[in-house]
Amino acid sequence: MIAVLRNNRDLWAGVMLVGIGAGAVLMARDYPFGTTLRMGAGYFPSVLGWILIAFGCWIGVSGLRHRAVIEGGWSPRALLVLPLSLVLFGVFIDRAGFVPALAVLIFGAAAAGRDFRLVEVLALTAFLTALCVLIFVVGLGLPYPLVFGF
Amino acid sequence: MDLLGNLVLGFGVALSLQNLLYCFIGVLVGTLIGVLPGIGPLATIAMLLPITFSVPPVAALIMLAGIYYGAQYGGSTTAILVNLPGETSSVVTCIDGYQMARQGRAGPALAVAALGSFFAGTVGTLLIALAGPPLAEFALSFAAPEYFSLMLMGLVAAAVLAQGDMAKSLAMVVLGLLLGIVGTDVNSGIARFSFGVTELTDGIGFVVVAVGVFAIGEIISNLGDATRRTVETAKVTHLFPTREDIRRSIGPVLRGTSLGAFFGVLPGTGPAIASFSSYMLEKKLAADPDRFGRGAIEGVAGPESANNADAQCKFIPMLTLGLPASGVMALMLGALTIQGIQPGPQVMTQRPELFWGLIASMWIGNLMLVILNLPLIGLWVRLLSMPYRLLYPAIMAFSAIGVFSVNNSPLEIYLAALFGVLGLVWMRLGFPLAPLLLGFVLGPMLEENLRRALLQAAGNPMVFVTRPISLVFILATLAILVVMAFPAIRRRQRDIAD
Amino acid sequence: MTKLRVLLLSLLGIWLAAPPLAAQDYPTRPVRLIIPFPPGGSNDVVGRLVASNLGERLGKQVIVENRAGAGGVIGTEIAANAAPDGYTLLVISLAHAVNPWLYPLKYDPIKAFTPIAVLATGPNVLVVHPSLPVNSVRDLVALARQKPGEVQYASAGIGSFQHLGAELFKLMAGVNLLHVPFKGGGPAMIDVVGGHSKVMFSSLVQTTPNIKAGKLKPLGVGGVKRNPVLPDVPTIAEGGVADYEAVNWWGLVAPAGTPPQIVERIYKAVAEVQAAPSVKQQFATQGADTLQMGTAEFGAFMQTEMSKWGRVVKEAKIKAE
Repeated sequence: MIAVLRNNRDLWAGVMLVGIGAGAVLMARDYPFGTTLRMGAGYFPSVLGWILIAFGCWIGVSGLRHRAVIEGGWSPRALLVLPLSLVLFGVFIDRAGFVPALAVLIFGAAAAGRDFRLVEVLALTAFLTALCVLIFVVGLGLPYPLVFGF
Repeated sequence: MDLLGNLVLGFGVALSLQNLLYCFIGVLVGTLIGVLPGIGPLATIAMLLPITFSVPPVAALIMLAGIYYGAQYGGSTTAILVNLPGETSSVVTCIDGYQMARQGRAGPALAVAALGSFFAGTVGTLLIALAGPPLAEFALSFAAPEYFSLMLMGLVAAAVLAQGDMAKSLAMVVLGLLLGIVGTDVNSGIARFSFGVTELTDGIGFVVVAVGVFAIGEIISNLGDATRRTVETAKVTHLFPTREDIRRSIGPVLRGTSLGAFFGVLPGTGPAIASFSSYMLEKKLAADPDRFGRGAIEGVAGPESANNADAQCKFIPMLTLGLPASGVMALMLGALTIQGIQPGPQVMTQRPELFWGLIASMWIGNLMLVILNLPLIGLWVRLLSMPYRLLYPAIMAFSAIGVFSVNNSPLEIYLAALFGVLGLVWMRLGFPLAPLLLGFVLGPMLEENLRRALLQAAGNPMVFVTRPISLVFILATLAILVVMAFPAIRRRQRDIAD
Repeated sequence: MTKLRVLLLSLLGIWLAAPPLAAQDYPTRPVRLIIPFPPGGSNDVVGRLVASNLGERLGKQVIVENRAGAGGVIGTEIAANAAPDGYTLLVISLAHAVNPWLYPLKYDPIKAFTPIAVLATGPNVLVVHPSLPVNSVRDLVALARQKPGEVQYASAGIGSFQHLGAELFKLMAGVNLLHVPFKGGGPAMIDVVGGHSKVMFSSLVQTTPNIKAGKLKPLGVGGVKRNPVLPDVPTIAEGGVADYEAVNWWGLVAPAGTPPQIVERIYKAVAEVQAAPSVKQQFATQGADTLQMGTAEFGAFMQTEMSKWGRVVKEAKIKAE
């Protein structure tokens, strides 16, 4: 039974919607609600939050009946490494410069895949970084320092 | 007759060697930045503005305009090839264009996008020439109540976007509306859902969400799914559209152009609304709506025409009234004033060579874009035959730079990563992604205009039905609701009869 | 191998041991000019106009970087935290003096910066849609007295120059107008030209074309003197609201602690840029005036502006909540 629930697609979809809707309603309590004819800042988000909760319940309950399962693979490696490489790009671009940030991103992105070949990835990193510098910094003149300190 | 004389004057100006050159530079740069996500015409024109001080006003305007509409052409390229929307307006093109690419039909998709855009551009240019001032006056009659009713109609029509599960589609629209609320409330100045983060007081950028859920979500999904990745390099059957493709596209191009022109004239609608409307209309009209979302060429032809007509017609309020409908248009006005030209209604009479020269150049520029883009299709399609493990890091790099370049804000990179993960989760839970973006686009405008309309009408809700244009949209909304409810009612009756 | 290593180490040593660059050599590399607003706004136009000319005078490129967000707070904060070496400059405007009263700030708007120069100033202009039956500031005040809270004015948003100018007017004229905020000056102006909201305290720069085309009726300008762009339009003070003044300004500042010689060098370069006829003319077509003000004077000016608008924000209860 638990195993069935764990893979129940629509149940989880419903849970997610209810969660977000409830969060919105709770947070919107800090903003003045107003009335329908003179709405405050909290009116719209509260109403939307409740609608989302209703949808969540509907979808979740129908999931219990239909028992559709989640399809398609999850690669934990891709799910972790890919966003992480983006985050590192964001961290580095303001502190280390355009080139290191890009290199980290491209290398990290390549490492998120399954068939990782070091030499090929290093070559790809060098090539793409150079290409991006050419297009964005030289060509379009975006104001990013290539490497900090120079 | 007068028009003919004006057009002759305009083409005389636009066909000078210097102006042709500036036009070409403009559309070339425009195509390039259109292909690249994030970096849009706004930032590019801002960077190039100082250079134009030393150029004659006509040439400067021709070049800047070329960048703007050139970007609309380029925007569809990456959307179709790798699910990465190059410009805001090409988000809709991702839905079916990318599916076409997966089936080895990237070539026809790109070609139809380019040809549809050219047609729309031609019509848009003609409209400016023939009816610019009256259209601008019509647009001015739109105030908060009209915009609200129009957005409401769009929201109701969004049910058409449903891919299978109606409840999930509608839930995604609502989620999009909620996401759109993040940021400072226009009416009260309160920062909502900003979690104390200063950057979030301006809301979440459209590019961030679109690139996150579409491009990055798709990559994470592909990496986790070894089987689907091999399907990716489906055999390329042909580069150019078949007769059947063309036949299917004609209607959508015509309708998309009309919708785009309508939304383009209205200053209060952002990009993407025109293309969303066109998509919803085509799906509603199609005999077999099931093909939509699975590589229907109508889903590329319509929206791509719509967004180009929209872009072209956004010039109407700027040229005829001197009112900026968007940031790009504000920059163009700035370029004019710095050149010593007072933009506004008098430009047409006092500087006809400028007004008509620009219009003629727009048509020439559109022609250049088609000639430029069609041969590129072969090259783009060949790019797809690259092994995916080499392709996706490049997509990641372009996405990251694109997102960062909008506001130079690292936070937006983090958010794009977050939306990538969310995009995957939503996909796996069976949610369609396009309705999310429609809600996200409409949400802020819907709330803003609703509250403004009530504020301006001193709290009287009748304002939505006493104003004629608003009433038309309200009635149309009701009609859509009835039409949508009708099949359900019929089904129920049949069930009862059985 | 060892030779290479020695070479690399010595290069590193030279780099690390390099003394802080002498101020008289300034600038030895491109200068970063932060504009805390998105491309297209007045701040951006003024900043870029100055940047391209300033670069020529300093002999190194001045690179514009838009760091928009939160009414200018985000870019300003980045500049406040930058190294005070003269290689990071910031374009500020009236918003800089208003933000402390509207947002919780992580920097001190006065102490975190070294003032360099005022770049330009531009007044607001009170315009109405021609359908509104008023022909002067006095008419408008009378109409507003007759129908308190019914005459609507559009603004570019809470805390914008357009909003503050109107609230100052309300306070000084003792009238009540209904505020209809928009997202930016463009949409607000479109609403007024369309005749939906009737009144706007717009920035002169944006409004001149529509005044000249007869789409909007000017009642008064917010400067102390009449503006050469609209010589026939009286000032709002002449029109009966004595001492009314709402003038936007744009200035150049550097992070606090920037060496005085460098500040002096930039100040002189800015003064040269401002004196150039082409620049003067480009500002004039925008309805703005170049204004020269000593560095210390600019600092004092910022203080005055802050307290002036602080009072407006408080008395008009503009702060959200």
